[in-house]
Parts: sequence; structure tokens; C-alpha cells
Amino acid sequence: MKVFLKPSLAILFTASVFMTSCSNDEDPIPTNEEELITTVQLYFNPINAAGNIPTATYRDIDGPGGQAPTITPVQLNPNTNYALSVTVLDESKTPVGEITEEVEEEGDEHQFFYVPSSGLNLTVTYNDADKNNLPMGINNLATTGAASAGTLKVVLKHQPGQKSATSTVNTGETDVEVSFPITIQ
Amino acid sequence: MEDAPPFPIFFLTELRKYVNYLVLLLLCIGLASVNVLAQDGPMTPGKDAPADADCGITLSGKVTDHEDRSPLIGATVVLEGTPHTSITDANGHYHFHDLCPGTYRLAVSYLGYNPERLEKFVRAPEVINFRLHPDALQLHSVEVRIAKQREQIPQATSHLSGQELRQTHGQSLAQSLERMTGLTSIQTGPSIAKPVIHGMHSNRVLVMNNGVRHEAQQWGSEHAPEIDPFVASALTVVKGAAGVRYGADAIGGVILVEPKALRDSAGTSAELNLVGVSHNRQGVVSGMVESNPAGIPSLSWRLQGTLKKAGNSKTPDYYLANTGYQEQNFSAAAGYTREKFGVDAFFSRFDTKLGVFSASHVGNLTDIRNALQRERPEPEAAFTYDIGVPYQNVTHDLMRLHGFYRTGSASRLLFTYARQYNQREEYDAHGDQSTPGLRFEITTHSSEAVWEHPLIWNLKGSIGATYQYQFNRYEGRFFVPFYQSHTGGLFWIENWEKGKWHVEAGLRYDYRYLQAKLYRKDTPERTGQSELDNELLTPTHRFQNLSGTLGAIYHFGPHLDLNLNASTAWRSPTTSELYSNGIHHGTGTYEYGNANLGVERAYNFMATLAYVQNKRLNGEISVYHNLIDNYIYQEPDTVPTLTIRGAFLTARQKQTNATFSGVDVSASYQLTDHLLFATKASLVRAYNQSADEYLIWIPSDRYENSLRYSVERLGAQGVFAQNFISISGLAVPRQRHIPANYLARDYAMPPAGYFLLNAEAGTTLQLGKQQIEVGLIGRNLLNTAYRDYLNRFRYYADEIGRSITLRVSIPLNF
Repeated sequence: MKVFLKPSLAILFTASVFMTSCSNDEDPIPTNEEELITTVQLYFNPINAAGNIPTATYRDIDGPGGQAPTITPVQLNPNTNYALSVTVLDESKTPVGEITEEVEEEGDEHQFFYVPSSGLNLTVTYNDADKNNLPMGINNLATTGAASAGTLKVVLKHQPGQKSATSTVNTGETDVEVSFPITIQ
Repeated sequence: MEDAPPFPIFFLTELRKYVNYLVLLLLCIGLASVNVLAQDGPMTPGKDAPADADCGITLSGKVTDHEDRSPLIGATVVLEGTPHTSITDANGHYHFHDLCPGTYRLAVSYLGYNPERLEKFVRAPEVINFRLHPDALQLHSVEVRIAKQREQIPQATSHLSGQELRQTHGQSLAQSLERMTGLTSIQTGPSIAKPVIHGMHSNRVLVMNNGVRHEAQQWGSEHAPEIDPFVASALTVVKGAAGVRYGADAIGGVILVEPKALRDSAGTSAELNLVGVSHNRQGVVSGMVESNPAGIPSLSWRLQGTLKKAGNSKTPDYYLANTGYQEQNFSAAAGYTREKFGVDAFFSRFDTKLGVFSASHVGNLTDIRNALQRERPEPEAAFTYDIGVPYQNVTHDLMRLHGFYRTGSASRLLFTYARQYNQREEYDAHGDQSTPGLRFEITTHSSEAVWEHPLIWNLKGSIGATYQYQFNRYEGRFFVPFYQSHTGGLFWIENWEKGKWHVEAGLRYDYRYLQAKLYRKDTPERTGQSELDNELLTPTHRFQNLSGTLGAIYHFGPHLDLNLNASTAWRSPTTSELYSNGIHHGTGTYEYGNANLGVERAYNFMATLAYVQNKRLNGEISVYHNLIDNYIYQEPDTVPTLTIRGAFLTARQKQTNATFSGVDVSASYQLTDHLLFATKASLVRAYNQSADEYLIWIPSDRYENSLRYSVERLGAQGVFAQNFISISGLAVPRQRHIPANYLARDYAMPPAGYFLLNAEAGTTLQLGKQQIEVGLIGRNLLNTAYRDYLNRFRYYADEIGRSITLRVSIPLNF
């Protein structure tokens, strides 16, 4: 008891409790999210015909959350063959990140899938191949039928070690999944 | 009638009356069954006594320290002239059963105390208490004993130590704790498990590692406590709000991981533990060496280390890809203890690399729906020890300095300082795999000063002050912001013991200052314009509040205790609840924090009736009710978050009033000398009072029955000691207490119920002077394919199939 009441000792102990007080002034480094995908564009380049190239765009500059994305639909001609190519970009960076190139480099782990909604007279066939001779879906052939309207869903799958002749749109992890409104008339 | 007694006493006598009725009733039921079986049972202790001693008289009592009234555990009470000996239990109780009337000479002895003798003519059951005086010459050894004593507290507690704890070697901390009633674990695949107490986990459960509040990224259910279970010689769980002693946040309960005290007698010893587990071909080597040099009796030290490596886990039908893990842990401790003071230092490092189950690495909602449709997870896997991406690298360092100064024969001043450094690196399957996609570093300094005051008017207690500073930083993708916090607390707890009553009351005040640092682009207020988005925001929060506890233990006798406890605790929202903003990989959820969250407060009421230290029937029943005001939880939004990666489930942090109530029951019955039947059940119901519906992610009911056959000695000269074999069945029904529109909040309905058959066996080989303890544990012996509701990966794969663990423990003395 007596020892405890020695003020010097009491002060020492109490002080040491609060002595560990610290503070840190470090600020976070503003990092850009790696591999942010902001933009997906579809180019419908008519084969055997000159003229404009209808382009569908899905753009979400600030990434997930925040501002809503903007979607530009396309209008295609009936009974026409198009060379359909896809571009994936990170437009939040300067210079703009060309993600399509990265996909192509890792072509044996990636594949684009094209799923037209029922009623839309559009078929998409692959026109490229990775090092294992499996399609990547960056370059394709799109063929329209009679006049109709609907959506084209574009899905980019990451399929590390899973991509094969039998892998499907349900295999692996989704990197991109967007739907474009399309009218054929 | 005289004047009415003052209110508290009046209340207590009234309460006592009702409790007496209840206990009488229970006793009648209990004793009736004991007597029926005892008549032809072989367990008549006095059968070889000089007198044919079985006249049903019980002699019992409590042995305590004369100075501070603390129970003396392990004191020897001998009935001189008879073969009867009793060792006092954790509450200091001893008892002799089935004595005949006569004169008995009791001798009580305990190391460091003056022995006492008493002659007594016994005609009827009698309670004789002893208060031993410390032996001044042996005060040094007394000190160590007192430090080891387990205080009885009015809250429900469970305890795991000795052989039972060693049987859990090779399992994670959370899995080890599942042996206790009321405890389950929330899992993220086979390598990550967090303890759940009465339906609450993560931010509501504190883990006290060696007396230091474990601080890491406990906000996430996929962040398991970074503690090597081999460090612990005892695991204790306090169920219910225990905020007064351990600080705010302990709403659900506290897990105490306690290492063995340093050696207090001269010599050097070591222990080697080897464990092999079949389902993931896990191998564990853990060693410990400790010494108390004869030349410097005040000094003791210990070194300990564990190596663990496991490959892909196997379910009944397939391996789980990338679920291997490895651990390298070590700890060192040294202490210097004198009569008047003592200091010790402890350092531990926990270092693990954990594979994250490949099939759980999904993108959007469609991917999860696809996974749910699959019979088997994709990709398929074979067995391997290799860990690929994604994986986590986690290290946790704890440095602790502790000292005490004796301020009287039964009072001490204690001081603790600790520094913890936790680093978590998450390597993603995407992008550059040479650097982690996300890295958290969290540094915590904590200190505590406590004065245990001497016994005054039957009051024993402590007053303390705590302070904690924490700093969190990250690199890589945003999920939880930079933050720093200062938390200070003052507490005062008193224990009052008289006769059959033990009352505990405590009060605590805490203050918390929190400052977060984040860029606007990492908040939901992001604009898309880089100038505005790159503005650094520094929101601050101040929280302060009181915690309190009031509890009582009534000892009806040496075998029956009633514990009643009411306590209140609070917690402030964590930084992740306030500011998390982003996609939570693996759960397909876009999580939004809520910066307007306020304090969550819990009121916990608990009653436990324990019937213990009996020859045949022992049991405990505990009922609890928690009211939680402003319970913070994640509510899924009906509108998914649309991103370029597809749709994600939206989840927002909300507050509501909730209740958690339930019951834990455990009982055992000694069928014969060798055969013990035990049963356990735990039920919890959690309800959102504001929305008038059940809460999701609450553990299913659990029922477990076991039969254990044990033989003290077997073989020539009893080479095999402490032999046992046990078989147990665990039944977990489907969780049916769920909200009506369940699939709006979760991807799949709670999985079907399951039954698991488990078995254990153990023996201690005595080879000359060398002991070797061997244990064999079989889990899920029927190889049942099942999924557990509380496994976050239940969408993707089954639980572990049949698994056999072999463990060997070799104590060495030099």
C-alpha cells in the first residue's frame, strides 16, 4: 500500500500508459486501379461495301459505382456481312490504356463471347485464333438477317488453365459483361 | 416481524428462495437418477475402506487463501486413517462421498501455505471450509500459484486445456474452439476460419492473445485470427458482452489465448509435437524448449516454433484447387521474477501463405449463378502443395512487455505495453503478379496499467487505464482507407464474496478518436472529374460511451452454482463499415460503407446453472438474451450495381435493433467406471426487430452426442496410460429461421442439414522415464458430402471429406 502511494511511482506508471501516444501524417498515394476497364467498343465494318462504320460504345469513365455509364446503340443493315472487331480501353488514364492488346497477349486465357438476344437476326462467328488455335473473339464475322431489334451481349472471360475447345461462356471469371442495343433495318 | 431488511438484502433473500425451489426440483430429478444407477454401479469409492463406508454422507467444503479469499486450486485434503483423498477443483472445492457417521481427521495441505488439521464428528452431510495462511518462507512459490488461478466470473465461460486442447493440434484456432458449446466458426474455404460466439463474430468478438488485444484486419470474415494455436496452453471463451475488462467492442464475447506460465522451478525441458492430417496431407512440426537456470532462479525463458504445410483439401468427391497453405511461426519469452516485482518480455511472429480457392474467384453475379449450377467446382484440381494466384501473405508480429510490482501481500500493480504489426498482402489472379494487388499494414500500440487492490470489506477488485493507438495504411486497390485512431479507457471492477454469494460489478468508460484519409474518387461521391476526385478528405469521428457489468454467483453447495449476469457493451463502427467502397472479390458484392453510422450498444442477460464435480451426472445449462440497439449489418439492395464487368449485388451498411437469444446445454453421465456419455446442444435465434424478420448468416442449431470409453492403465506394468476411445455424432439441421424473401439477400438458400460421425482415441506411452502421448482423430468418418451455412464458399464446393489426424506429443526433460 505504502509503496503504491509514493506519488513518484504512481505518476510514472500512469504517464507510461499515455506515453505510447503517437501520430502519423502519412497520406495515401492516389493510385489508379490496375486494369480498370472503362470502355468497350464494337466496330461493324461492312464487307464488300464502303461507307461509315457503325460503332457501339459502352463507356463508364469513373469505373464501377459513381456516375452511370453511357451506352451508344448501333443500327445495322439487313442481310449484310460485317467484320466485327472489339476494343477494350482504359480511358481513365493518360495515355489511354489499350487493354485489347493485353487480352491478345494472353489470348490462350481469354475469350470474347457474343450472345444476341432472341429475336435479333444476328449471328457472330469467330475469325481469329490464339496460339492453341482456339478463338479469341477479337476479330469476328457478323451477319445480319431480316429487320429486327434486340441486344447483343458481349462477355470477356478470363479462363486461366480452363480455356479449351469445350469451355463456354459459363467457364471462368468475367472481365467484361455489357449489352448493346442493336436495330437492324 | 421485525423491520423489513434493506432492499438489496430483501431482494436477495427473495431471489434465493425462488432459486432454492428451482434447484430443489432439479436436484430431485438429478439425484433420483444418480441413486437408481448408483445402487448397482461399481463406483463405490469406499469399498476397500476399513469400515464398509457407504452411508451416503457427503463431506465437502472450500479451501481459500486467508488473505484474499481466492480459491486454492489443487490443494490436497486427506481423511487421515482412510484411503480417501480429494484435490480441490477450479473453485477450490473438495468433497468426499458416501461416508458413514464417525469421527474423521481432515488434513489440508497446499504448497506455500501452512497445513491445517481438524477433527470432526460427522453425523450428517457437512460443509467444512478452510482458510489457509500463507507460509511466509515460501512466498515466492505462492506468487506463481496465485498468478495461475482462474478467477470465477459470473458470465458463461468455456475452457479448453491439457489433453483436450492437444487433440485439436493441427486445426486452426477457430476450429479448435468449436469443441465448446455455443461456438461455431465462419469459414471462407478450408484454410480460413473465424470463431463465432452465440452467432456473433469479427468486430464483435475480441481475441486476447497473451493478455494483449489482438489487432488486425478483423473486419472481414475472410481474415482469420493470426495466432499459432501451439502457443496456447489454455483457451478460454467468455460468452456474452465482456466490455468492462477487455474494452469496447466485446459485444459477442472474448477469446483468451493463454500461453503456459514460464517455468518456476530450476531445470530445462522441451516438448515436440508432430501432427499429420490426411485430407490435405498436412504436416505440422512444433517444438518448444524452456529453462529456469539453477544459477539464476529468478530468470526463466522459452523458445517455441511451428512449421505447417498443407496442400489442396479433399472433399468426398474432388480436390479443392489452390487451397493449400503454409505457416512459419515462432515465439520467444523471458521473465525475471523476484518476490516484490517481476518483468517479462514476449515476442511472437505468425507468418502464413494461404491459397484462395480457385473456384471462388468469380467476377459478377452471373459467374456466381453459374457456379451454383455446377455439380463440381471449376477448375478441376489434383493434389498439390503448390499455391498459385490468388493467394494471401499474412504476417503478424506481437511484442509485449509486462511487469508487476507488489504493493501488498494481496495487491499488485500491473503494467503491459504491446506493439503489434500486421501485414496482409493479397495477390490477385489479374495483372502484375509480382506485386500484391492490395497490401494492408496495420500498426497498433497498446498499453495498460492495472492496480489490483488488497481485500477491503470483502471486496477484491482492480482499477485500470488503457490506451491504444492504431494506424492503418494500404497500397494498391482501394477497399478500406488510411486511418489512425486513439482509444483510451478507464475501468473499475469489484468482486464481493461472502458465504454462498459472489457478486461482481464493473464500470468502464472509453473514448475513441478516429480519423480516416481518403480521396473523393474512393467514395460514392466520386464525380468523374479528376480535379474534384483527387481531393484528399479527412473525416474524423469521436465516440465515447460507458460499459457496465453486474453479475452474481450463488453457490448452492459444492456441486451446484447459479450464475446470473447483466452487462452492457458498445462498439463504434469500424472504418470498413464507415468507408469501404468497392467490389468484394469472391462474394460478387459491391459494398458501400456508411459514414453516418453511430454507436452500436448491446445489453446482455445471461443465466447459467452448473451442476459440477459429481460422480455421475454433471451438466450446465445457459440461457442468454442480447438486445442490440443500432446493430450494424450489411443489407443487400434490390438494385444491383451495374458495371462494365456486369452486375454486382449491392450491399449497404445499415443499423437496426436486433436481438440474439439462445441456449447452450451440456451434460455428461458416467454410465460405468469406464464409459461416459456426453451431450451438447446450442441454439441461437437472431432477429431484426425493426424489420420484423430473422437475420441472415446465423449458425444453425447444433446437437452433439458422444460416448467415451477410458481406461487409466493398460498393458504390462501399465505401459499405456490415460487410454481413451470416443465416438461422437454431430447433427446440424438446415437453418430454417430465415427472412421470407431470402433469395433477395443471398445467392442460395441455406444448405441441407447434415450429420457427421467423428471418433478419437488417445494414449500415453510410458517407456521407462520417457512419456509419449499419441492421439488419433477421425473427422467425417462416413465421408458425407455436405455444405455448411456459415461457409462463405458454400456456393462453390462441398466441405472436407473423411480426414484422419495422427498426433504425437513428446515431453522431454533434461
